[in-house]
Amino acid sequence: MFTMTSTILRNLLKEPATRRYPASVRPSFEAARGEIRNDIHVCTFCGVCAVKCPSQCITVDRKAADWSYDPSACVQCGVCAEVCTSGSLQQARDYRKPVRKKELVVLKGATTPPKHSDPPVTG
Amino acid sequence: MTRTIIPFGPQHPVLPEPIHLMLTLDDEVITEAVPAFGFVHRGLEKLVEIRDFHQMIYVVERICGICSMLHAMCYCQGIEEMMGIETPPRARFLRVIWSELHRMHSHLLWLGLFADSFGFESLFMQFWKIREKILDIDEATTGNRIIVSVNVIGGVRKDLTLEQTRGILSELKSVETELKRLETTILNDYTVQNRTVGKGVLTAKQAYELGLVGPTLRASGVMQDARMLKYAAFDDIAFTPVVETDGDCYARCKVRFREVFQSIDLIRQAIGKLPNGEIAVKVKGRPDGEVTSRVEQPRGEVFYYIRANGTKHLERLRVRTPTFANVPALLTMLPGAGLSDVPVIVLSIDPCISCTER
Amino acid sequence: MIRHGILIAAALIFGPLVGGLISGMDRILTARVQSRIGPPLLQPFYDVIKLLGKEKVVVNVWQAFCANAYLTAASIAVVLLCLRSDLLLILFIQAVGSVFLVVGAFSSTSPYSQIGAHRELLQMLCYEPLLILVAVGVYLQTGSFRIAAVHALHQPMLLKLPFLFLVLGLVLTIKLRKSPFDLSTSHHAHQELVKGLLTDYSGPLLALTEIAHWCDTALLLGFCSLFWATNPIGALLLVAVTYLMEIWIDNVCARMNWRWMLGYGWGMGMALSLVNLVWLYAR
Ligand code: SF4
Ligand code: SF4
Repeated sequence: MFTMTSTILRNLLKEPATRRYPASVRPSFEAARGEIRNDIHVCTFCGVCAVKCPSQCITVDRKAADWSYDPSACVQCGVCAEVCTSGSLQQARDYRKPVRKKELVVLKGATTPPKHSDPPVTG
Repeated sequence: MTRTIIPFGPQHPVLPEPIHLMLTLDDEVITEAVPAFGFVHRGLEKLVEIRDFHQMIYVVERICGICSMLHAMCYCQGIEEMMGIETPPRARFLRVIWSELHRMHSHLLWLGLFADSFGFESLFMQFWKIREKILDIDEATTGNRIIVSVNVIGGVRKDLTLEQTRGILSELKSVETELKRLETTILNDYTVQNRTVGKGVLTAKQAYELGLVGPTLRASGVMQDARMLKYAAFDDIAFTPVVETDGDCYARCKVRFREVFQSIDLIRQAIGKLPNGEIAVKVKGRPDGEVTSRVEQPRGEVFYYIRANGTKHLERLRVRTPTFANVPALLTMLPGAGLSDVPVIVLSIDPCISCTER
Repeated sequence: MIRHGILIAAALIFGPLVGGLISGMDRILTARVQSRIGPPLLQPFYDVIKLLGKEKVVVNVWQAFCANAYLTAASIAVVLLCLRSDLLLILFIQAVGSVFLVVGAFSSTSPYSQIGAHRELLQMLCYEPLLILVAVGVYLQTGSFRIAAVHALHQPMLLKLPFLFLVLGLVLTIKLRKSPFDLSTSHHAHQELVKGLLTDYSGPLLALTEIAHWCDTALLLGFCSLFWATNPIGALLLVAVTYLMEIWIDNVCARMNWRWMLGYGWGMGMALSLVNLVWLYAR
């Protein structure tokens, strides 16, 4: 009882441990695994990310040159960014903001992708 | 009052997860307790048929939101054993560090919930405040607070820099002092002892015969801990399990409280002996055969059975989680207890229902 | 007459208002000692307004009646306190209000509210005798049960009735549903009975019980303030210190069970009261 008293008094004198989110936001850690972003101009549509993704939320269509990703199915494991052959796929530090509707992220390559020796894979 | 039947759960504020207990009361004394499961079954074991054995790491991690790292570690160790992969020493030490961090945050979570179960809300907040520090370490070193995703077959994905290990050590120092400050409250306070001492007693014989695991078993005086199997780097680290003999809720609380300090010590040892070198080896080929694997989770021993047939999909994966082994204890402890002791007793086995149902 | 009318209106409005504000301050302070920021000061009012706006689901008519009766009794008690009426009458009306709350809970079939109601009865069994003893102490000191007589004193009652004031504090802890006595229902529902007594009150009816609870808080704190009735600043200070002690107790104790409450409440409460009464009598 008495040690708890000293604990609660100490808490009263110190700053609270909570913060007024979203008014004050702590910056993410450098290593934090946040949102997946694809630089579509660099992407070669090889499809490796789609094959490796454990939650199978990436779809790559090589012919149509589009890369789509379902952020609400993504588990933020970071495997896709790790295995990306061109380095176009990056994992940002910050989390995706909450959304009202589930939506696919569909990115379209501007030009036809450069020829690749691997056979096209679609996930 | 005469006989009353209380539907305790599946949604109940003192229960962290959905388990249903049908309690038959005779004037606030329990005469019978019938548990029911099946509210969070997700069929994760079945996923082996459509996810390959690498992807399964991220699936088994999500069996449980608290001991996720240890699930992945148990799974990876099983596959490594099956494929005859020798993990590099640094990876084995790193696994110990992260797994003990996991044990710490799980126990701190439990200590908070336990305090909440006997209505000590301010103590609950204190434990969870300390737990945030551990979660911050996790996030800074691995990128996520709980689902750390560091294990891969053949090693780990992330490395610790010298700076990070120093950071961990200094954070642990402050965690240790803050916990010491709460020690008299959780272990010696009159009101806390009044609610925990002598509640839900299990003798060593009972506990052993019921097949209990983890702190629930060790609090009854049985020295059994899967870390004694010397998996990962435990063969290079001095370790003796924490054992208490009273077998009541207080003893279980004491075991877990002491284990937090033990984990701090284990992490210090592991960081002190952390060898240099690779953190993972390349994995070639596909698993074939069958294997069992065990590690000590915060709640007790988890058991994996894996059977593979040389393809990229496993044939069978079966997980026996510690809570599954510990629930029978409830049926022994609850009859005869008062209604106000139900949350305390239920929490004292640290039930993790998502684990149990997968 | 007009003066009385104004007083009654003021009591009806300010009773619950003060109770609500105190509850808001309580939440902030409780949060701060637990190292949280806590809700805004007016959060209790926001909660009640939200509850009032919800669909009215009546479990049974009797329960709806009970919620209203509880509120009525609690506000009458506050009005009578402001009119400096008879202390025994006030305590009696307050007790009637609480009984209605219990009866309302008993009238539903949910085991949680049944057991909660049962426990609330035990709590009343524990604190009602103590309240009467405190009133008796006031009588011995002033020679009357009328509050006006307390205001006529030249010296604060606290100096003569220190132990009885402690007993009143004990009652306050039970009435405010603070640890270690948040047995029949608790403010946060993290309890084996969930919301216990209040489980089956919902929406606007729950709002009524909440407002009545504010009235009860105001009433009991008003009672406390009588112990330093000679000086308004002293009274305010006394009430503030009492409430701080409540928050302190709430944050350093686990919840106990009703057996312990009866044993401790009666043992401690009766002993303290008797010591004080005998002392008064012998003098
Ligand atoms: S982060 Fe993981 S789950 Fe998300 S898209 Fe990449 S591989 Fe898939
Ligand atoms: S792995 Fe990289 S390059 Fe290949 S499809 Fe995915 S994002 Fe594009």
